Amino acid sequence: MPIIAMVSPLVALALCAPPSHPLIAEVFYDAIGDDTGWEFVEIFNPMPTPFVLAGARLEAGDGAGPDRWTLRWVGTPGDTVAGDGRFVIGGASVTPAPGAVVQLDLQNGPDAVRLVWPDGAVEVVGYGPHALAEYFCGAPAADAPSGQSLARMPDHSDRGSNAQDFVSAAPSPGAANLPRRDAAMVAGRLGLEPEQPAPGSAALLSGAVANRGAEPLAERELWLEASEAGSAGDLTLASMPLEARLAPGDTARFAIPLPGLTPGKRVLRVRMHLAGDQAVANDGDSIQIRVGPGALEVTEIQFHPAAGEGEWVEVRNRSDAPLSVASFSLADRRGAPGLPAAGSDPLAPDSLAILVQDRVALLARFPSLDATRVWQVTPWASLNNNDDSTRVADIVTLREVDGTPCERVPYSASGVPSGVPLERRADGSWAPASDPLGSPLEPPRSLPALAGRFEVSPRRVGAPRSMIASVGWDLPWPRGRITVDLYDLAGRRVRQVMAETSVAARGERPWQATGLPPGLYVMVLLAHPEVGSGTFTASQPLRIDGSAP
Amino acid sequence: MRGSWVPLVLLWLSAPALGQDFAAPAPAWPPGPPSVLLERGLPTATAVPTFEGAVTRWHGIAALSTRAISGSFGWRRLRAGLGVSQTGEPDVGWTALAVALGAADRSGGACLRALARRDRTSSFGFDATGAAVGGEVGGGAWVEAVTGLHVWASAPQVWMRGAAPPLARPLEIGGAIELGGVTLWISRAGVMGSPTGARGERAAGLETVRGPCAVWIGAREQPLRGGLGLAARAGALRAAAQLESHPVLGETTYLSLALGGRP
Repeated sequence: MPIIAMVSPLVALALCAPPSHPLIAEVFYDAIGDDTGWEFVEIFNPMPTPFVLAGARLEAGDGAGPDRWTLRWVGTPGDTVAGDGRFVIGGASVTPAPGAVVQLDLQNGPDAVRLVWPDGAVEVVGYGPHALAEYFCGAPAADAPSGQSLARMPDHSDRGSNAQDFVSAAPSPGAANLPRRDAAMVAGRLGLEPEQPAPGSAALLSGAVANRGAEPLAERELWLEASEAGSAGDLTLASMPLEARLAPGDTARFAIPLPGLTPGKRVLRVRMHLAGDQAVANDGDSIQIRVGPGALEVTEIQFHPAAGEGEWVEVRNRSDAPLSVASFSLADRRGAPGLPAAGSDPLAPDSLAILVQDRVALLARFPSLDATRVWQVTPWASLNNNDDSTRVADIVTLREVDGTPCERVPYSASGVPSGVPLERRADGSWAPASDPLGSPLEPPRSLPALAGRFEVSPRRVGAPRSMIASVGWDLPWPRGRITVDLYDLAGRRVRQVMAETSVAARGERPWQATGLPPGLYVMVLLAHPEVGSGTFTASQPLRIDGSAP
Repeated sequence: MRGSWVPLVLLWLSAPALGQDFAAPAPAWPPGPPSVLLERGLPTATAVPTFEGAVTRWHGIAALSTRAISGSFGWRRLRAGLGVSQTGEPDVGWTALAVALGAADRSGGACLRALARRDRTSSFGFDATGAAVGGEVGGGAWVEAVTGLHVWASAPQVWMRGAAPPLARPLEIGGAIELGGVTLWISRAGVMGSPTGARGERAAGLETVRGPCAVWIGAREQPLRGGLGLAARAGALRAAAQLESHPVLGETTYLSLALGGRP
């Protein structure tokens, strides 16, 4: 008896890519969720002539023990794979429909599939860490994550090892794993700048394209077309060639200048055009945008509550029709959008509602509020209290639940006294609320002129304490110009704390007392109104601790 | 007498340093109340014991007031002083204890002064746990260069340890001349850490005494400002007040009531 037959005739004849035979090109064995109906094995014929699959056997191997192969499919005389074509054996849910519909029940690795040809040739594809050599060729391929298939890359690859021939890739039943020419939109990268353009103003639609083909793409070979989706079909807005050359695997960004858009909610599409593109399904992407203001506007932001009521954002229905607050989401610059609940819809035109971090705490703090207009948002995007290098503390972002932008309010926390909300003024500008408690569910209050106030807190800084003091003021005018200087106890001016600055009536700024010798100082605020005449002067002592020289 | 103007001119080219613990209403010259002895180290020519209580409100800031009681004593040429003061509200203020010891007669005098401070973290006391403590030792001296002309020098913080003082006070030198019932004085004091370099702060003033009353005016620079002081004596009791105006910070008010002093 030949030695081969003594050991195992099939193992002995197994090759990574038997010559003059079609190849296993793709194995999809672990769909997201239930695998039933989604698994498939793709057979690729690299030869120019059709290949009849009659008698070919597809077997699944259980890597847990030796010689555990079970038959999954046998080719019939009618099963043929065209020259340079593909034959898919898979479940009923596979799209496009497989050449042979079979419930494969493939195991997640370490396992294998093999194709046994009538002439004795065998091809084995093993995945996962195997201990038994009969379940792989050369070295097993790495296990593919859930939702990804094992794909021979490129489709003709024959490097003598499953590990080198197969990689994880998006499933592509019936299509080339690595097309010769394929330009693809990179999913999730489409964006509009500005995100919410004003009606009629220009904008840039940007995104990224990738060359997922085997051939390089020359400059201006790829055209990009931006269009607006409409009930009567897409309206082309602009088109442009991609100026970059793309080597296989390369990615390039693009930005398509768009003309002024009409106000409202829109869907923008980008479609690529590449001659000979072998995978057109990935040639487009779309984004939902809003031109002009959304129906809900932010009117007040409490980002640093001082009385335990939690953060809150007041919003107003600026549309002419009632709207559902529950159909919007609230987020900060980076957080996941939170959804409102526990309030009552609809919100009448021009009415206010509050989106809150802690509904119970807010209602306890403001018991007279109409609770039906107080919405608990979950999860709450914690709003930052300190500015970043761009002088923005955070961005309050309202979106419709489908992701369409509604309003985006970047705010600065600089100069806002602790516990005082920011409110939108009639002219659209933002300033610390005239009422230090804020005015939830009420328009900004016009309070009588503030009494002049000047505070330094703490009045004692220096090692081992912080060197930072907060300088706060109330001015008896809506706005004023202030200067703050520091004098020593002898009355000599030693430093300017704030150069002349235009400020709101109520404000606060941090100041770092570095570079000054220890001692007792007097900080002096000198203020004038921006309009009219008057002067307000106030002083506060400041002690800087330190050791004698 | 002509030669005596030379040091005065030099002094002018070269302000009195403000007190901080025992500031009291008094002209820069002559040294009278015990506060001058404790603050500047300048002893009185006479040995008459004096007790003084003083209140200062710095730049009109209520949170920054100084309350002080002090006494000076003499026996023959020996001079001594003792005082305690408290300045500011608890979060910024401090309590100070000062002693001075020296000698003087009508031609000159010198004195050493030492002072200890502790953060004011309670209404009054030196027992605050963890409070910053600091101390300084210095002195002063004066001499009658010629009849009617006095020069003085005061270096109240020659040695310092612990927490830094509220106000650094380098060397102050000055001179005074008596001309027909009026005493004129000038002085110059260094300014520690002045952004204008080593330039000192100059001051000048005059005092006149008419019977039991005295009135004095003074001016200082950086920035330019002036002050007016009044004192009245009834027997051994002396009441004094001084107002100094600052163009930005406002007025500093000094009040004192003393028992004893000038014979």
